[in-house]
Amino acid sequence: MTSRQYIDVHIIQTVPPANLNRDDQGNPKEAHFGGTRRSRVSSQAWKRATRLHFTERISPQDLGTRTKRIAGKLAERIGDIAQVDTATASRLTGALLTPLGITAGRKEGDTAYLFFYGRRQLDAVAALVGDRAAELAALDDEKLAAEIKQLPVRDTFRTGHPIDVALFGRMVADIPALNVDAAVQVAHALSTHTTELEFDYYTAVDDENEKEETGAGMIGTIGFNSATLYRYATIGMHQLVDNLSDEKSAADAVVQFLTSFARSMPTGYQNSFAHHTLPRLVAVTVRTDQPVNLVSAFEEPVTPATETRAGIAPASIQRLAREQLTAVRAWGNAPAFTAHCHTLAPEHGETVGVLEEAFGAPRSFDVLLTDVRTHLTGGEA
Amino acid sequence: MATTPPRAEAVLLLRLAGPLQAWGDRSTFNRRETRPTPTKSGVIGLLAAAAGRARQDPVDDLSHLGLGIRVDQPGSLLRDYHTVSDYRGTPLPQAGVSAKGIQKPTSPAKHTHVTTRYYLQDAVFLAAVAGPGELLDGLQHAVRNPAFPLALGRRSCPPTQPLCLGIRDTDTETALRETPWQVSRQARERYAARWRREHGAARSAVPATVPCPVTLDDPEGPDVLNDVPLSFDPLRRSFADRRVRHDWFSVPTGFPGRPGSGTPDSPEDATGHDPFALLGW
Repeated sequence: MTSRQYIDVHIIQTVPPANLNRDDQGNPKEAHFGGTRRSRVSSQAWKRATRLHFTERISPQDLGTRTKRIAGKLAERIGDIAQVDTATASRLTGALLTPLGITAGRKEGDTAYLFFYGRRQLDAVAALVGDRAAELAALDDEKLAAEIKQLPVRDTFRTGHPIDVALFGRMVADIPALNVDAAVQVAHALSTHTTELEFDYYTAVDDENEKEETGAGMIGTIGFNSATLYRYATIGMHQLVDNLSDEKSAADAVVQFLTSFARSMPTGYQNSFAHHTLPRLVAVTVRTDQPVNLVSAFEEPVTPATETRAGIAPASIQRLAREQLTAVRAWGNAPAFTAHCHTLAPEHGETVGVLEEAFGAPRSFDVLLTDVRTHLTGGEA
Repeated sequence: MATTPPRAEAVLLLRLAGPLQAWGDRSTFNRRETRPTPTKSGVIGLLAAAAGRARQDPVDDLSHLGLGIRVDQPGSLLRDYHTVSDYRGTPLPQAGVSAKGIQKPTSPAKHTHVTTRYYLQDAVFLAAVAGPGELLDGLQHAVRNPAFPLALGRRSCPPTQPLCLGIRDTDTETALRETPWQVSRQARERYAARWRREHGAARSAVPATVPCPVTLDDPEGPDVLNDVPLSFDPLRRSFADRRVRHDWFSVPTGFPGRPGSGTPDSPEDATGHDPFALLGW
């Protein structure tokens, strides 16, 4: 693997009338771009939806299978620091991890934390015994356990990174040692076209009030708009490897992020609008030079009239693909890997052609995830 | 030029553009503001991130670089209502930590925290970073191969390409005067349309230059900004003052196919100081 890799994710997603992310007036968030008003969903809102999607999907068993690898990693580090043989390092590791077994499940949900250790925690824990490895290894099991009890193992591990901390970072102002630099950068989602804020005027009928003609029991309005959004995020693979301490875990985390980022949806006014859509396009590029945000494709707003009569989403997809081709041509560096998954109909043949030119052959989302993982772990996709 | 002169002072040009930007200077706690133009700490922070420096690493060499900012498209202010809560539904932690480094939950339980964040929307700036050629060469390479994802003042504001416009072997003022206007084709056409409307000019007579406000480092300058980063270390974050001067430059609009664009050719262009231009009047 090269030292630096960025995984760019470009998503085009159409959302029907909805209010995903509202401001303090209760209206959908907006921004001006290219001189016109756009619908906006803040990066924070979609990151939260992504986190919630993680908690629905990632089972504790999945995370549990990682304990052995962590033990092996820790043993490796102790071996390196203390220059002891593998058996001794494993024994010390076992002694260190035993007390954690008791505390891990005390509070539900905390277990998930403990299986995603960061490199710094492993280094710190290894350092706890590293200096005294020979002395500790000479003790019998009981005395060893007693000695280990004196060490702040638990406190050191309390800083363990779960997947979302590794991806989204963490800041504890008072203890910089607990800070984790986010590996993911998420841009605010913007509509590819001009939007107008609309209001749904509604009345609610009082079911029990049948005799009097009082009209509505209450009235109100909900602000909404509908939009085809461009969503962009980039993952610094090298940072993620740093946060999670090994490449395979990092590749897994990338797949988890791509899945949850693509499939999640902010829940604002969900029951009023049922805006559960899936992306029309997910395009992934892996670059070794720099992340490339393609939002400039939409600086000039997409209008149905000026584009092919295909509709806003296919027109946006075509613009995005052309922008990618332009960017590659103008700045020289072709991505190391591209893949995409789309839901365009056969009549959008021209757009499909441009898409393939820009992002390679189309594939299903599952295959896309597999191919990304294969590429990241050094295989041929 | 036949011979390559030794690398002396040069200027690295950065185009700071993206849907959203945020250049805070004194913002803390719940109100995160933005200045109307990029701050020196923001630009240097971007360069330091590109070069892979951690927050604790020194930035002395970078804070000595000169800075000139040109406002190509001022954009407008966006106020963002922002709430914070824990996705697991647990109460927010207290601000402080115990001796063991543990944050206790708030009591009485507080689930949502409100902050206000300001952004600049739809803005384009040209930043000219002046300094020793060798240092700038390194920074240019870093910006094109960044160690950390780059942002326009705030993490959620990734820049659009091209970010790096290259190095010029000249001074800040010349670089800011000569680099063409960095706005979209649409904005350029809107400007031309307004110019024609106001000047009753023939359709072909598009303006050669546009007046852009600039802010330049100047030891004699009348204004003081407290945005020179001494350290980005979260525990020792501090900034020093710098003196600046504000000015207006006539900048080539770069309309294609216009011979001699880059030199002002009408009195309006040459003296074009229009304070209301910023407001779009």
